Amino acid sequence: MAELSDIANEFIREEIEEYLERPEEIERNIELFARIRPAMQEIAAALIEGENDVVDRLTQQALADGTEALEIMDDGLIAGMGIVGIKFREAMIFVPEVLACARAMKAGMHYIEPILSDAGVEPIAKVLMGTVKGDLHDIGKNLCIMMLRGSGFEVVDLGVDTSDDDFIDAIEEHQPSILGMSALLTTTMPNMGKAIEAFIDADVRDDVMVMVGGAPVTQEFADDMGADGYGKDALACVELAKRLAGVQN
Amino acid sequence: MSKLDPKEIQKRMDRISEMFTDMVSHAETVSQTRCPYRDRHDHCTAEFRCRNQQRPDTDEAPIVCGHNGEFDYSSAWESNPLHHARAKKKISKIRDDAAKRRSASQRKKTD
Repeated sequence: MAELSDIANEFIREEIEEYLERPEEIERNIELFARIRPAMQEIAAALIEGENDVVDRLTQQALADGTEALEIMDDGLIAGMGIVGIKFREAMIFVPEVLACARAMKAGMHYIEPILSDAGVEPIAKVLMGTVKGDLHDIGKNLCIMMLRGSGFEVVDLGVDTSDDDFIDAIEEHQPSILGMSALLTTTMPNMGKAIEAFIDADVRDDVMVMVGGAPVTQEFADDMGADGYGKDALACVELAKRLAGVQN
Repeated sequence: MSKLDPKEIQKRMDRISEMFTDMVSHAETVSQTRCPYRDRHDHCTAEFRCRNQQRPDTDEAPIVCGHNGEFDYSSAWESNPLHHARAKKKISKIRDDAAKRRSASQRKKTD
């Protein structure tokens, strides 16, 4: 049986000691990290800290050193995210920290994805995501992006306060098959309808399937706007994106 | 580097998806009583103004969330039925105006 002291990385040791409370989780993580190479522990530690630039650099370095992509996924990214999940469940971190960790994971996956692609694992579809003009609320959109990426979609994030022209330019540039728009305010929600009309005027509406979401949005509103689908939360967003992409569950 | 087995990759992707699903489900529950923009240090990470934001004396200090966590803050986000009706009217007007504009421009072209 491995001991905490068998884990080379001090930060990981402290995380296990300080934040893990369930005996079976402590034991499982000690066993896991004790057998993980120090370079991978460093990636896991940076991911837990939400340091995307460090994960970026270390992943790039590990691949250059000949580390297998699956080892980086298992021992760096997934192992680190396992600790993040426990800390979130135990209310030691909250949504902003989880999103920072998801961004760090994305930084690492950026280098892994081409390798997966070479092995024949392609993204399900490309999705453009943005919060509409006038709206600066982005947590819901960011949770959707985290879920979409985790489910195998390639996502281009246009951020908040996205104008119709920015959406249209991005459709032309990235040629996604799905476009997701969100709005959190009743005052900005009609801008999704406005954007869809702008897509028709710019002759790009038929190029993408449009999905909409956000607190005030309902299926009825989505229908009124002429959207192709509505997702009430991040989980529904992924199911909808899969349906729009023609994936059978 | 050895060729990767797509089935092995898929296993990892499924694991990541499962982890994120659990986290998002938990985020939905947590967000019932704690603003999702409030981080572990109780700082506000929102890019927009909120009535619960407590601005510090100095510009460098982070904005603190002043919500006491004792009530469901999200009720303040729920839409007033009147606002819903107004938004519905606005969406319908946007579509009608766009349709009229398009048919006028079509007529111009055919004339």
